[in-house]
Amino acid sequence: MLLDLRPVLVVNGYVLLILAATMGVPLVVDLAVEGTEWSAFILAIAVSGFVGLGMVLSARRPGPFRLGTREAFLSTASAWLLGGVVSALPFCTGPMHLSVTDALFEAVSGLTTTGATVMRDLDHAPASLLLWRALLNWIGGIGIILTAVAVLPFLRIGGMQLFRLDSSESGDASIPRLSKLAWSLLAGYSLFTFILAIAFMIAGMNLLEAVCHAMSTISTGGFSTSDRSLGHFSEAARWIAVIGMVAGGTSFTLFLEPWRRGPAALFGDSQVRRYLMIIVIMSLLLTVWNWSSGHMALGEALERSIFNATSVLTTSGFHWGDYDSWGGFAQVAFFIMAFIGGCSGSAAGGIKVFRLEVLFAAAGIHLRRLLHPHGVFAIELNERRISEPVVRSVLGFVMLYLICVALLALALALTGLDAGTSLSGAASALGNIGPGLGPIIGPAGSYQDVPQAAKWILTAGMLLGRLEVATVIAVFSRAFWRS
Amino acid sequence: MLSGIRPTLFVTGAVLSILAIAMVIPAIIDAVFRHPDWRDFAGAAALTLFIGLSLLAANRGAHHQTLGTRQIFLLTAVGWIAASLAAALPFGFSGLHLSSADAVFEAVSGTTATGSTILRDLDHMPQGILMWRALLQWLGGIGFLIMAIVVLPTLNIGGMQIFRLETVGGDRVVPRAARLIGSLIGVYVGLTVLIAILLHIAGMARFPALLHAMSTISCGGFSTSSGSIGAWQRPGIDWVILFGMLIAGAPFVIYLQLIQRRWRAALANWQLPVYLTIFLGATIAITLWMWFGFNMQPLPALRHAAFAAASVMTGTGYATLDYTRWGGLPVAILFFLAFVGGCAGSPAGGIKVFRVRILFATMRIQMIRLLHPHAVVDSVSDPVAESVLGYLFVYAVAFAVVAMALGAFGLDFFAAVSTAASSLANLGPGLSVYVGPMTNYADLMEPAKWLLSASMLFGRLEMFVLLVLFMPSFWRP
Repeated sequence: MLLDLRPVLVVNGYVLLILAATMGVPLVVDLAVEGTEWSAFILAIAVSGFVGLGMVLSARRPGPFRLGTREAFLSTASAWLLGGVVSALPFCTGPMHLSVTDALFEAVSGLTTTGATVMRDLDHAPASLLLWRALLNWIGGIGIILTAVAVLPFLRIGGMQLFRLDSSESGDASIPRLSKLAWSLLAGYSLFTFILAIAFMIAGMNLLEAVCHAMSTISTGGFSTSDRSLGHFSEAARWIAVIGMVAGGTSFTLFLEPWRRGPAALFGDSQVRRYLMIIVIMSLLLTVWNWSSGHMALGEALERSIFNATSVLTTSGFHWGDYDSWGGFAQVAFFIMAFIGGCSGSAAGGIKVFRLEVLFAAAGIHLRRLLHPHGVFAIELNERRISEPVVRSVLGFVMLYLICVALLALALALTGLDAGTSLSGAASALGNIGPGLGPIIGPAGSYQDVPQAAKWILTAGMLLGRLEVATVIAVFSRAFWRS
Repeated sequence: MLSGIRPTLFVTGAVLSILAIAMVIPAIIDAVFRHPDWRDFAGAAALTLFIGLSLLAANRGAHHQTLGTRQIFLLTAVGWIAASLAAALPFGFSGLHLSSADAVFEAVSGTTATGSTILRDLDHMPQGILMWRALLQWLGGIGFLIMAIVVLPTLNIGGMQIFRLETVGGDRVVPRAARLIGSLIGVYVGLTVLIAILLHIAGMARFPALLHAMSTISCGGFSTSSGSIGAWQRPGIDWVILFGMLIAGAPFVIYLQLIQRRWRAALANWQLPVYLTIFLGATIAITLWMWFGFNMQPLPALRHAAFAAASVMTGTGYATLDYTRWGGLPVAILFFLAFVGGCAGSPAGGIKVFRVRILFATMRIQMIRLLHPHAVVDSVSDPVAESVLGYLFVYAVAFAVVAMALGAFGLDFFAAVSTAASSLANLGPGLSVYVGPMTNYADLMEPAKWLLSASMLFGRLEMFVLLVLFMPSFWRP
């Protein structure tokens, strides 16, 4: 069967048009406030609007679309890549004059809600650029939520078929139902952002800071308006951010449930319960460590530990202080946490909690089967039996993920970074977190200092991680292009 | 339950008696060289032999019982732990004045063929102690080899069921297993002698040649010098040990097949090509890095790179140079090699090549299924894939827990992470300067040493042999 390129063009075209429309916001802000960046944004709007329109129009040939598996793979992967390229335009054409590498890194980091930055001196950066970075986080966040709810289950990426909207095996969720769901997700997402922004303002941020942080918190993005991240703001702001990040890392469809079934639906979900449990346990472990090592008083240790653990576990990447200097245990703990990630169907990255649940259950079954070789055991999550293909698919995903971390780390080491930095940088990029460990890319460092080649590798890693690895690999496989 | 525990006690008694006899060898050596340590060895031997023989006598006749799955689990775990504790006795009694944490660490590192040491200045150690360390690894190596080929497949540990002996059930199993064990020991002894002779020809004195042969064939890694193999500075010795490590990390079944002239069967072994490919890939990458990055001559670069790759992959832990100073890429490669490990059916540690291969196969099939949901692809059987998945997860969790605990005991990030990987894989040295191949574990905090001892045993017993004992249903009649 020949690949039908029309749906791919339409999807890409619409993504570009949406991005072009979004660039209007920082453009207006720039014209109203500073007036230094407007030409860059106009140029970017013109390019992406023109290309996007061209793509949509060129696909208007007669005949029904066929959105098969391969078209869906190609659309998803190409839309994220192209979106990243276009979003980079305002960074490299404006007065900030980032190099192409840096601009692409920053844009992809924004769109994939990673939050790693190559920009220095954010406190004095133009308002329009800060807003654009936060907007990238925000759009990327809702983008991945919609992808995770509508596309990935249909593509059966790493056990995501568990989250199909209807249990029909064909996998075609009805379009009207999907679009209704998409609109309510967008509404919920916007509502959360709005509430967070108000709360941040009450906590003492100005309008720009509050809006930017609201957008990058709910999307678990992690772009801040200050080099010191949330360490620059008040304590109340940090607690608000913690709540926002936890919400951002939770399966978003569940937030729609309480309207129908009461709040029990949210906490009845085993994934959300385990997710909250992991956050609490890791925060407490870090608290004990920080407190017992004598650097901090109990209260401060608790606050700092909760904030930074939540930030890494939800793959946000905000930081409060240099947690890399907390000593060996904290470093290892942050490294391990980088793999875990948030819930499926959220803007968080990483392996995701439900996959760990499946793995944990599989290990338990192996253990029980050792003693009872002929026993019949089944994995159950949320009182639903997990079928064998799902377990296999999770196994395939986790293996692919670990191999990607290994290959990225090797590639980073090849550019001259040391082994620890390479390893944590790879885990951080693939998990869409942001800061890594060590003096170079740790919370106190900056990705500005890594070699040029390493920035490209990290950019690729962020995209790979965001698209759950398999989506990208599938497009590059031989089987994909063999018709 | 009381009668259920008798076979365990019987086997433990047998293991202790063997160890006691082994302790006589260093005692004789020390006595010949007139070193006062011989009394310590003799004392330890007498004590161990007494316990061992008492257990044997009290449970005689138990070896006629048919063993259930649970009893096999229990006797495997108890046997290893008891052997490790007994092996610590000579270290504790000797003139080295080791604390109990140090003595147990050194002994466990020996019996699990890990090769981490807490002893400083090995070059001036009494010969008895050096002999005892090498003997421990040698016995630990053959012990694990027998366990991996005869016991673990029947227990279905982490997908090992695919290596089950062809005839299962019926009376023929026991004599067959006994014959198999006999020929394994023969091959093991033969290879040890071969490596020792080659080492001697390459320029090593007789005594260190024998000791290095013993800890090479067992993938152990105890050396008689604190500078490891690098202290000799002879390329010939490097090549012999390299060759020995590669042989030790390959499936031993191949050697039996070669002796029986079943060439085809030996060539058809599917672990070997994967093992050699990974080894060669890593070697080439490190060689190129050393050649172009460090301006090393190509041939020495190849030798050092291949040596480090083989040493880490098979979990031996010897070093010719301090590879922690080679920069990012080699260290990162070695770090991942430590997880891969050697082949199943060898004394090597790690996740093992066959599991990595099964994981790869499952991953590839999943990728094909993404595009062709109904494609029929050759696939690994479901229970095996699930077992390997469970194994991988437990390995990852154990790694995370040990690494975090080591971090809490004062190691920095990379030292903690690499030492955790190293102890679980029974490799030995970590990959950071602090606990690298040219340093030792003496400076670690006491609790860290206990933790590492536990971690080495956990890794050696393929984790599940110990985990099963913690299940409530294990102890329910």
